[in-house]
Amino acid sequence: MTSNPTQTDVTVSETKDPATLDVSVGPQHPGSGHVRILMRVDGDYIVSIDPDIGYVHRGCEKIAENRNYVSNIPHLERPCIIDAIHLNWAYVLPVEELQGVQVPPRGRYISTIAAEMNRIMSHLYWLAINAGVFSGHTTIFMWAFGDRDLFIELAEMLTGARLTYSFLPPGGPRRDLPFGFEDKLTKLLDYFEKRLIEYDRIFFSNPLVVARAKGIGILTKEDAIKLGVAGPVLRGSGVKYDIRKVEPYGAYPDLEFTIPTFEEGDSYARFLVRFEEMKQSISILRQALKKIPQGPIARKAPLVAPEGEAIGRVESSRGECAVMVMGDNSDKPYRVRVMNGSFRNLVAMPYLIRNVHIADMPIIYGSLDYWPVEADR
Amino acid sequence: MSQSSLSREEGIVNKFKSRFTESVKETKIDRARRITVTCDKDHILEIAKFTRDEIAFDHIIGICGVDFPTHKKLEVLHFLGSVTNPDMHGIILILKTELPKENPSIASVVSVWESAHFHERETFEMFGINFEGHPDLRKLLTLDNWEGPPPMLKDLKFPEMSQR
Repeated sequence: MTSNPTQTDVTVSETKDPATLDVSVGPQHPGSGHVRILMRVDGDYIVSIDPDIGYVHRGCEKIAENRNYVSNIPHLERPCIIDAIHLNWAYVLPVEELQGVQVPPRGRYISTIAAEMNRIMSHLYWLAINAGVFSGHTTIFMWAFGDRDLFIELAEMLTGARLTYSFLPPGGPRRDLPFGFEDKLTKLLDYFEKRLIEYDRIFFSNPLVVARAKGIGILTKEDAIKLGVAGPVLRGSGVKYDIRKVEPYGAYPDLEFTIPTFEEGDSYARFLVRFEEMKQSISILRQALKKIPQGPIARKAPLVAPEGEAIGRVESSRGECAVMVMGDNSDKPYRVRVMNGSFRNLVAMPYLIRNVHIADMPIIYGSLDYWPVEADR
Repeated sequence: MSQSSLSREEGIVNKFKSRFTESVKETKIDRARRITVTCDKDHILEIAKFTRDEIAFDHIIGICGVDFPTHKKLEVLHFLGSVTNPDMHGIILILKTELPKENPSIASVVSVWESAHFHERETFEMFGINFEGHPDLRKLLTLDNWEGPPPMLKDLKFPEMSQR
């Protein structure tokens, strides 16, 4: 802790060459959320960057030590507001493990349906802002945001809220599938599957997008593993690793899906991973609607958790989200630690955004799908 | 989870037991896919290198500090995962280290796992733990004008914090 820290304590680590210039990108919302990226540029080239995060830090983990297990849910899912189900689920899994509560099969299916809808919504948000706007493609911004709203309306029908659902307290989801939900979701998936073909034609196969993203920001397989990146960034570098497969939770053991991976490791490969994941989510949702069993949706969970620690993790839209909860026989956790995809992928940012044109920076930043609030917590 | 399915976890625990006698104090299989290894803080680098090179735990999922004011100690937990070795998929290996409350200090594992960089910076800032040998140990998340004690320590109570 420096006694009187000023802005100068944020520096690019290498020694400064007089020909270079330091430029601050942000913290006024350079795209998705508040982050400052301190760039050192030499003409049109970025020499190095230093991500300065923490502008939206709100001390989630400290707050969690002062709230009971249930009232922790709303604020722990806020860090990634467009991916709330996954953050909620990652927190609830260890709490349920500590309390010894088993969610009934129907409850696990409903959670899975909500989570996969959330994955599509989150990827559509990424497609609109981080891929569309950052590459100057206004059409895909409008299309993806428009289609995302159809999913949001269905999520509202299921959970009662558009974005911040607080849908999964310990023990199982809050509500059963509402009347007519299956039909609406089936119709929406049929529509969305056709839309994905149009997305491919206007965006993913668009020569302008390919020219801007292909070969830019290459993260090799070895580096991806060494840097410990997670989620679509890892799979875009050719590593087949998905928490839904290696540590199945919810209804995923019963459902068939593949893990899309691409060997290239460039920004375009990371674009395509998310595109293919949306197709897989459609298939998962269809299977889940077909296979969902009858029965109770939730069990009653105690308000206290015994002494001990448990880690739960889910594959969120931005990669592995692991939460450790430490109980101490009271109704409040002793310690909660949230380890999520955005914070892990942050280490790849200074690694990828160097020796590139300034114009390539938004593409690389967008391809990481970095969500500043999730990283800051 | 049946007993035979714990063979992967037992294999890892046995490797630790046969390699380290003094520096690993305790090994415990919490449940399937979760192993806790309590280490001596002076040998953390040696254990980290062994964990990476011999049993292929290639990345850090997170680093967590925990404050125990009644025992006058801090704990540092390194959560490790493996993507290169399919046999280790899904296992979280936890290296647990105890530190004294006064001037807590531990060797940085950035030289072993580059992914530890930001996690160690955060733990340094939130718990005041000095990671020796970290290339760039600066504050990360708190405000530039934050002058209080490390915020995640238990002595810092919530109402006082919100009044700042």
